[in-house]
Amino acid sequence: MSVQSPAPQKKPWFLALLSALDGIFVYLTAGISTREFRAMLRGDAPGRPNTRLTPHADAFLLHIKPSYYHESVTRFTHTYRLGLLSTYLFLFETITGIILMIWYAPTPERAYVDMIRLLNNVPFGQLMRDLHRIGAELMVGIVTLHMVRTYLTGSYKPPREFTWLTGVLLLVITLFLSFSGYLLPWDQLAFWAVTIGTSMAEAVPPVFVGEIINLLARGAPDIGASGLLRFYLLHVLFLPLLLILFFFVHYYKVVLYGISLPAQEEEVGEDTANRVPANRRVYYLPEVLLDEGTFLLAVTAIITAVTVFLFQAPLEHIANPQQTPFHTVAPWYFYWLQGLLKIADKMWAGVIIPGVLLVMLMAIPYLDRNPSRRGADRRVATISGIVAGVLMIILSWMGTPAYAVQGAPALEVVEKLMPEEKVGISRKIGYKHIPLGTYDSREPITTDDAEFAKLLDEFVHLLEVWEEKAPDFNDPWGLLTVTQDQANLKLLRWEITWISNAGTEEYFKQDYWLHKDSYYWEQYGRKKFGVPEFLEMQNGG
Amino acid sequence: MRSLYVRSFGSKLIWGLVSSFVIVVCVGLTAQTEETRMEIQTRNWEGRGIENGAVIFANNCATCHGQQGQGLQGVAPALNSRYFFTRRLGDVGQDGVMTLSNYVYLTVAAGRPSKDNSQWANRMVPWSSQFGGPLRGDQVVDVVAYVMNYEETALQQTASEDPFQPFLDVAKPPEFQNIGISADAEWTPVQLAVTSVLPMGDRDPDYLFGALACSGCHKLDEPQAPSSMGESGPNFGTIHELGTYRPEAAADPAAYIKESIVSPDAFRVESYDDAMPDDFASRMTEEEIDRLVQWLLDPDRVTHTRDAEGNIIDE
Repeated sequence: MSVQSPAPQKKPWFLALLSALDGIFVYLTAGISTREFRAMLRGDAPGRPNTRLTPHADAFLLHIKPSYYHESVTRFTHTYRLGLLSTYLFLFETITGIILMIWYAPTPERAYVDMIRLLNNVPFGQLMRDLHRIGAELMVGIVTLHMVRTYLTGSYKPPREFTWLTGVLLLVITLFLSFSGYLLPWDQLAFWAVTIGTSMAEAVPPVFVGEIINLLARGAPDIGASGLLRFYLLHVLFLPLLLILFFFVHYYKVVLYGISLPAQEEEVGEDTANRVPANRRVYYLPEVLLDEGTFLLAVTAIITAVTVFLFQAPLEHIANPQQTPFHTVAPWYFYWLQGLLKIADKMWAGVIIPGVLLVMLMAIPYLDRNPSRRGADRRVATISGIVAGVLMIILSWMGTPAYAVQGAPALEVVEKLMPEEKVGISRKIGYKHIPLGTYDSREPITTDDAEFAKLLDEFVHLLEVWEEKAPDFNDPWGLLTVTQDQANLKLLRWEITWISNAGTEEYFKQDYWLHKDSYYWEQYGRKKFGVPEFLEMQNGG
Repeated sequence: MRSLYVRSFGSKLIWGLVSSFVIVVCVGLTAQTEETRMEIQTRNWEGRGIENGAVIFANNCATCHGQQGQGLQGVAPALNSRYFFTRRLGDVGQDGVMTLSNYVYLTVAAGRPSKDNSQWANRMVPWSSQFGGPLRGDQVVDVVAYVMNYEETALQQTASEDPFQPFLDVAKPPEFQNIGISADAEWTPVQLAVTSVLPMGDRDPDYLFGALACSGCHKLDEPQAPSSMGESGPNFGTIHELGTYRPEAAADPAAYIKESIVSPDAFRVESYDDAMPDDFASRMTEEEIDRLVQWLLDPDRVTHTRDAEGNIIDE
């Protein structure tokens, strides 16, 4: 400290201006001067005392982050930044979600109409919805991968048992967040997936408790206005708040104990994550910040590009409680539950097994007494983890309609060519590739349209496949009659006749209409919208 | 310190810039095509609404209004009709007041009661759940979109092609008869025969069969057989050979037919919906019903040609 301040000197005006600007810079960066900032950009080592630490003390957002990391844990291949990415995706979902909330009202009368309005009339509306949807799917995946990484590196071991436990809770909250958002578009996909999901809660013993839980979730014996409002509030208010709470508990523990080092770098039973030698410190400012920033920017770029060019969030027909879709499926991350439900009864598959699994997952750090985190010492843990993962995948496959669900063969054939929901070949080739006329599967295909010939080919092929596959489906033959029902509206009548084992002739008929302008979402990439001929092509159909 | 990293400080900066660039390009491309995208989406969802409406129409409306919207004489008016798209709104005094689309919406949603003395035997019931009907609001919207989609074909119809039937519930002063069609004088609606119903009492069965619109759903000269089923109601060509559907009726066919007229829901063949009006008991005397039943059961029954007042003109 100077004993006596020097006599004030008169500075030239431009130096005074620079000094004022420097002051503003220091103010905005919570303590980094322009000189220090240039040194950072040059890659100079911090001086002593390290003035780059000031923001960690002064700025709220930075005080949560550690000021330096151990060099080993900053390597990408140690954590893959999955925890950071999970947090980022939560922020991403919050931002896109709030934008979507502007055009949405959670009532059965408006929800679906609002979806269509968002797609039809809101600039960037479809982009926001697609981003929100892809972010939600990704978040479930990334949080799960984060858990798998933590498991494989044994990072849940002391002193991080509680961190793991809160992490499992965060995974559960993430699943429920994603699932509660599923209902909001109020389409068939949403309605029936959530009907299946909540019906599992009904299996909680004893019976009246299950009924009460189901009633609380749905707001009525069946999902309706109350159920939608409840899921909406869960999705936009309760679950995010719960997630934020557990996130801070989780992250506080992460900072408190530090990120566990690669197992080879410390003795078995030791934890030296917080004792970082001076020569192995990597400061958050600027290295790690830049690292994280670049990483998140790159991920955002990938998500945006995939969404813009490849991904469309599905929107099926409006929810119809009177009509169960042909194959009802849960969201993909609950396929394993649906698979369990096919082999066990509702109480076991819906309540007891998932409950025990969840408790076991949370209890892993307390059950696994092996002090070593090294791969060579934890073969049992690694192998059981892989077995559990493979089991999950098999159960998930069993949860898809591919396993042990089979409708009537005739219905399966038509469902493949022109499904109730989704696209199918017929809607994919579209209105203009389906000429009027009657087409018999027993007669040779005579059509000039190559796309339509492919459809008829597939019709014949599917009939053969199902004749072999299904025991009670003999000598099937099909008729496709295409008529012009109205201007720009064709009626496709699918008729299948076959002989049952009893020798009687059986008959199946399904009518579907196809409008010239209806475009099913899997059918187009957004990039095509930019092509001027695209509109003309549609007009000329 | 830098050497500890896989990538250099500078290359990270470049990666960050490249990523930002990709984001800007993607959002920019989207911005450029938003106008087209919204137009395509709007048409897409309109198209899908019509597809949904077609299913609802086929399941609920086609029985009376016809598979092609051609209507059914005495039961329900034609919708795929030039008259319907050009004149109907004026005839109900709503030209310039409401749109045809809203008129159709209101009719579907809230129904349209017919007067007993008009030629429409059935009342259009309310279809929207708002008025106690079976359809949700969005389904009504879709079916209206489907009906309105008849416009293009309907407007191309000539007079002989228009399946139009006059709406007798609308009183039309003669001087207003031709409003709205002056541009196309060739097209004049063909007025159909039945204009009023004689008072209850001593009416002939063949007159009643036409005047009460039984003929709208039941064909007299076609047999009811697996290969030829009446679309809206059973054909009566072979009604004297009862028992196909209800074996116990074979013993007393007259009683069965009478029951079907007086309370149609007492026994109904599954493939038919409940389109049969249940008020015939109040529109005919007991004696008239008995004679109608006997006439139906007679394989050699005679149907006379009649004028608008119901007088026989073929003798």
